[in-house]
Amino acid sequence: MSVADIRITAEPIDNERCKFVVSEPLYAGGVRRFASREEASGSPLAEAIFAIPGADVAEVIVSGNLVTVVKRSTAPWPTVGKAVGQAVRAALAGDRPAVASQTPGSAGPRSDDDALYERVADLFESQVNPMVARHGGRVELIDVQDAVVMVRMAGGCQGCGMADVTLRQGIEAMLQQHVPDVKGVVDITDHTAGSNPYFSGAKK
Amino acid sequence: MEAACRLGVELTVASERPSTFQDANPIGLMTIDLADPERAAAQARAFASRHPVAGVVGVDDETAVVAAAIAAGLGVRGNPVAAARAARDKHEQRTRLAAAGVPVPRFALQRVDDDPRLVAARAPYPCVLKPLRLAASRGVIRADTAVEFVTAFERLRRILAGSDVASCGDPARLILVEEFVPGREYALEGLLVDGELRVLALFDKPDPLDGPYFEETIYLTPSRLAADAQRALADCAARAARALGLREGPVHAELRVNAHGPWLIELAARPIGGRCSAALRFGNRGSGFGADVSLEELIIRHAVGMPLPALQREPCASGVMMIPVPRAGVLREVRGVEEARRVPLVEDLAITAYPGQDLVPWPEGSRYPGFIFARGETPEAVDAALRAAHGRLEFVIE
Repeated sequence: MSVADIRITAEPIDNERCKFVVSEPLYAGGVRRFASREEASGSPLAEAIFAIPGADVAEVIVSGNLVTVVKRSTAPWPTVGKAVGQAVRAALAGDRPAVASQTPGSAGPRSDDDALYERVADLFESQVNPMVARHGGRVELIDVQDAVVMVRMAGGCQGCGMADVTLRQGIEAMLQQHVPDVKGVVDITDHTAGSNPYFSGAKK
Repeated sequence: MEAACRLGVELTVASERPSTFQDANPIGLMTIDLADPERAAAQARAFASRHPVAGVVGVDDETAVVAAAIAAGLGVRGNPVAAARAARDKHEQRTRLAAAGVPVPRFALQRVDDDPRLVAARAPYPCVLKPLRLAASRGVIRADTAVEFVTAFERLRRILAGSDVASCGDPARLILVEEFVPGREYALEGLLVDGELRVLALFDKPDPLDGPYFEETIYLTPSRLAADAQRALADCAARAARALGLREGPVHAELRVNAHGPWLIELAARPIGGRCSAALRFGNRGSGFGADVSLEELIIRHAVGMPLPALQREPCASGVMMIPVPRAGVLREVRGVEEARRVPLVEDLAITAYPGQDLVPWPEGSRYPGFIFARGETPEAVDAALRAAHGRLEFVIE
């Protein structure tokens, strides 16, 4: 695999947060969350992202082929995203794993949110997304913070008139049943940007 | 959904098309036949035999009838089915109201295959042609002359022939012709509690709605109408609700006022449409219910028999603009949204049309591309803020 073959798609969530979908796996050991340069030490991908000039990166979350970057600066995502892309390609081309495994006894106990993230991600992949796919929709797990799940809806779910029902009666209900430690779910979707909602919104 | 969550009320959402999550959450989601209220009531009874139901709320004109049937079947609070049906059908509503002496425009029922030239010859002018069952003033057209009448009739006939309407059955083959009532229009939001109408809000509609089409623009509350005129409007709405036999739940009434007093244009057994309810907040800090009770919370409280707060609207002025459709075409982009949101007093701006959506102006259309909400000390200030925010928007349409 050459660096040129790696495809990276940036999906800005808001001014602070952007998800990057990479065509190659980055980390297969669940979720790794880096909240500082110090925590990133030993993981070339996270080190490089924290070092992006002007981005003032606050957090890097890696899971599977996804990287979520949280920044404090107002630098626009097209600019920061280019540097993230370069960091991803460099890390994948290097001779060390892009993200180091979390070894037992190393940087402290795994966070409760990381454990919840994995369980919620499994539920979304195995049950939630196959269900919403019947209506051309997709629900993306963005993050888990303080046991609150942040999701973004896409496809037929984005802008759908029944999105609230999907969120509360569908997703939240399934989380309560299968991951009862979750305290709540927040939808951060920009529903106005939906271009193919399954059900149109209210008339008035 | 949010209101139920805040109240800790468990919801079952029933719709005519199955949710993809229904199997995973059979208590929270169910499919019922909204086209057959009696069958829907039987389905609800079967459900309630396993999961007790404390109340039922319909969300629009059609489901108001279904909700009445379900409530009757379950023995919970609701309207008589006949009353809900009467409220839904414009002709039946006019007939009952006129018989009860409620001031309504003169009206006559025509069939779509009647000769419009013959009908035009005996119509009062100016008049308004209306479909019996469509909402949001879709298909409502004013005619001032016989020539305009024929054009309007044929245009409404084409709307009623559309596949989304024709499926209504016989009501889609009927046209209501009524005398145009001049005067300023008002919207009354109320809650019926054991037959008594509690007025929740009276909205002014500051823009004249004289036609030929009746797309809404701005709602402002509190009303600037004189107190005795407001009482007359409330009394007219209450008489209308009684005449139709409505007893419980939300009502939304459109009324006009002129030199002859108030006129009941239409009364619906449902709350104000969807997003516009965000313009209403109730309660006060000393009430024990907080100062931020939504209309939906009141409706759910009433439906399940929970205590109601003192139904007092917040002290400030509030308003909503239903953003007009600029012109027909495919929406590509809406610019200026952030600038519009920054207008002082503007609280929220929601663009509900999506990129790629066909924008259809009235009378064929019925969907607003967005809504602007503002609050302030006076209705005048709120009105100005809404218009200023609207002025900053640019719709890119192909």
